[in-house]
Amino acid sequence: MRRKIAVVPEKCSGCRICEMACAIHRQRINNPKKARIRVTTIYPHPVVRMPVVCNQCKDAKCMSACPADAIYRQNGVVKIRHDDCMGCHACVEACPFGAMYIHPDIDVPLKCDLCEDSGLPQCVKMCPTGAIVFMPEHVFGQAHRLNNVLSYTHMKEIEYMEHGKPKRLHYADNNAAERRDRTEGER
Amino acid sequence: MKKHNGGYFRKILHVDMTGGATRTEAIDDEFIETYVGGRGFAVKLLWDNLIKNGPTDPLAPESMLVVAAGPLTGVYLPSSGKNSFASISPATRLFGDSSMGGGFGVELRQAGYDALAIVGKAPDLSYLFIDDDVVTIVPCPELKGKGNLETEGRIRDRLGDHGVRVASIGVAGENLVRFACVTSEWSRNAGRTGIGAVMGSKNIKAIVVRGHQDLPVAEIDKVIEISEQAYKELAAHDMMGHWQRQGLMGVVDYANAMGILPTHNFRDTHWEKSKSINGKTMLASYKIGNTACFGCPMCCGNINLVKEGKWAGTVTEGPEYESAAMLGSNLGVDSFASVLRGNHLCDELGIDTISTGNLIAALIEGYEKDLLTLDDLDGKPVIWGDDDRIMEIIEQIAECRCVGATLALGTKGVLERWPQLGPIVLHVKGLEQSAYDCRGASSMALAYGTSDIGAHHSRAWTVGKELEMGTDWGINEKTELVIYHQHIRSLFDMFGVCRLPWIELGFHEDFYAELYSAVVGQEYSLEDLLARSQHVYDMTRAINVKLGAAKGDDYPPARTFIPIHSGPLAGKVCNRDEYEQMLALYYKKRGWDEQGKPPITCD
Repeated sequence: MRRKIAVVPEKCSGCRICEMACAIHRQRINNPKKARIRVTTIYPHPVVRMPVVCNQCKDAKCMSACPADAIYRQNGVVKIRHDDCMGCHACVEACPFGAMYIHPDIDVPLKCDLCEDSGLPQCVKMCPTGAIVFMPEHVFGQAHRLNNVLSYTHMKEIEYMEHGKPKRLHYADNNAAERRDRTEGER
Repeated sequence: MKKHNGGYFRKILHVDMTGGATRTEAIDDEFIETYVGGRGFAVKLLWDNLIKNGPTDPLAPESMLVVAAGPLTGVYLPSSGKNSFASISPATRLFGDSSMGGGFGVELRQAGYDALAIVGKAPDLSYLFIDDDVVTIVPCPELKGKGNLETEGRIRDRLGDHGVRVASIGVAGENLVRFACVTSEWSRNAGRTGIGAVMGSKNIKAIVVRGHQDLPVAEIDKVIEISEQAYKELAAHDMMGHWQRQGLMGVVDYANAMGILPTHNFRDTHWEKSKSINGKTMLASYKIGNTACFGCPMCCGNINLVKEGKWAGTVTEGPEYESAAMLGSNLGVDSFASVLRGNHLCDELGIDTISTGNLIAALIEGYEKDLLTLDDLDGKPVIWGDDDRIMEIIEQIAECRCVGATLALGTKGVLERWPQLGPIVLHVKGLEQSAYDCRGASSMALAYGTSDIGAHHSRAWTVGKELEMGTDWGINEKTELVIYHQHIRSLFDMFGVCRLPWIELGFHEDFYAELYSAVVGQEYSLEDLLARSQHVYDMTRAINVKLGAAKGDDYPPARTFIPIHSGPLAGKVCNRDEYEQMLALYYKKRGWDEQGKPPITCD
């Protein structure tokens, strides 16, 4: 089962621990500018903080842009063959997400390879707010689905008391839906 | 002498804004061993400048502005995003510094400098751009009068790089408001002692940095091991979730319950309406996100948005406790939206919320008690909780207009113009008091009184500890606690790390000594390091003595000696005799003479 890194920007605080964890484990160096994941913060229009990291795309633009055929896929992970890379950075320009990075000390672009496919990636492991997650591909989009369902406009609401405190319950009313169907049917 | 194999770039960048000359000063192991970094480097640079130029107007070109990161700034460890801004303070005319969080210090280090020292005055409003080893002064007349948020955005756009770090001043800094701050990442402030005015006096709208270099770490494997254990411990801490959700806003309820919440210019220390400005109110209706400084899992910053009402659309990172209390309960403002608005204006215009909240509160009380006339207020009264008028005065302070022109001079200027406010302005050495009342805990009164920069809490925050466990302490314990805090907290500023994991999540001090040793590749004990911190503290005192500070400046605000009349600590007051005894003991324990002079002099 393939797993991928997903980011939840709503949970990101912009602390950049992911950058440090990446650089320090992969490069053995204390330099967030050598990370394969970077946090972009925009404020105040709009207010958003988002870690940007490779999506391991199925049709990878970086791969097709590479004039040296140095980018390949192994077990679903998009990787760079260092010996073949000519350092032209065409892949960096081609990535629609800006998820490939360059550092002057390193000839080959920096790109996430899911910590060489060795289990839980370091950024996921160290993220203190759960903004970076590692999950099976078929689970992707669940957050959006959940948001979509929760914001379902026909939801009903009741207020009630529990241990003396007011509470609210939301529910999708089966009977109301049947009534609506009947009315629409009559029409 | 120890040889340090990591932790430092060994370079201090000197910039003269007058002619644009720059040079780098190399620092050796002796310098490192003596001053450690961060605030320690800043104190040494200001010391040398004071000897070279003698006492000068803090806003004169010869005055020096220092930005110093520490050897742990940007290192893989919890909460390593701190750096110090320091200068002779235009508010107190004594040593002044303020610590800023975020990522500015990390970037400065990545550009290859441990510290930056600026003198002179640019001919036109400019920003200083440090792009690794290329340093340029770029005129930016178009940014005159712009707020911090806009300035930061425009500079990023102009450079076409969203990743640069910007530390800017708002209109208040340009107008030399004595409590103007320096702001980075839109709302991370070096808030206290008016460093923003020093920047303004040099015609510097912003300092922009970009770097790419590796931070030197001697024993990287050891750092990883120690730090990841630390991250793990913090994550498992019971209070971690609370800190991530509420940050320092959780302190509002704590301070109110303990009876130390400043209310109506510290007349009261408990407020029945405190729920209107507490963390729960924020969570229920305003919070939209977290922010964190570099490397910090606690993410104590809250991003808040006002969604309805007259301040709808106001978005701000904050408030934290100080701002909520000083712009909320201390001004009688019982609407969280108004507190947010005030916080936003202070950030955008670039003034310190603590000083602002104190001075406006004194204005309101002064008017209420007929110490000020309607004419003094430009014919427009101001009363507790009058948020519209308070917002107007905040803008007037930054723009030096109307009554704001007087408040902009800070406590010292206000008291020259209106000496009758002496008993009601809460300050030490000319710096307004932070949002913790100290009458229930005399160690805190001593902490405020003896603080080198004035009445600031983060020099020694002993109030919580004394109220929680030391109500029967003698003056010996209290004095020792203050001195210990003044040294350990200085050490955090010297390292370039935040003190919150230590003070709030019980993280052990020894961790930092162990980690520093791994970073520099030399064994240091906590005692070694505290001895260096003490030396730096003595140097600061010597600077202050040279600039005219004396024993008379080491007393808490006048109100400290008047009993609290309501709340959990009703009747509590700082006893003057006890204070005198504590102060004498404090000097003695520090090895200072009876007048508070340290054994070293700044000559």
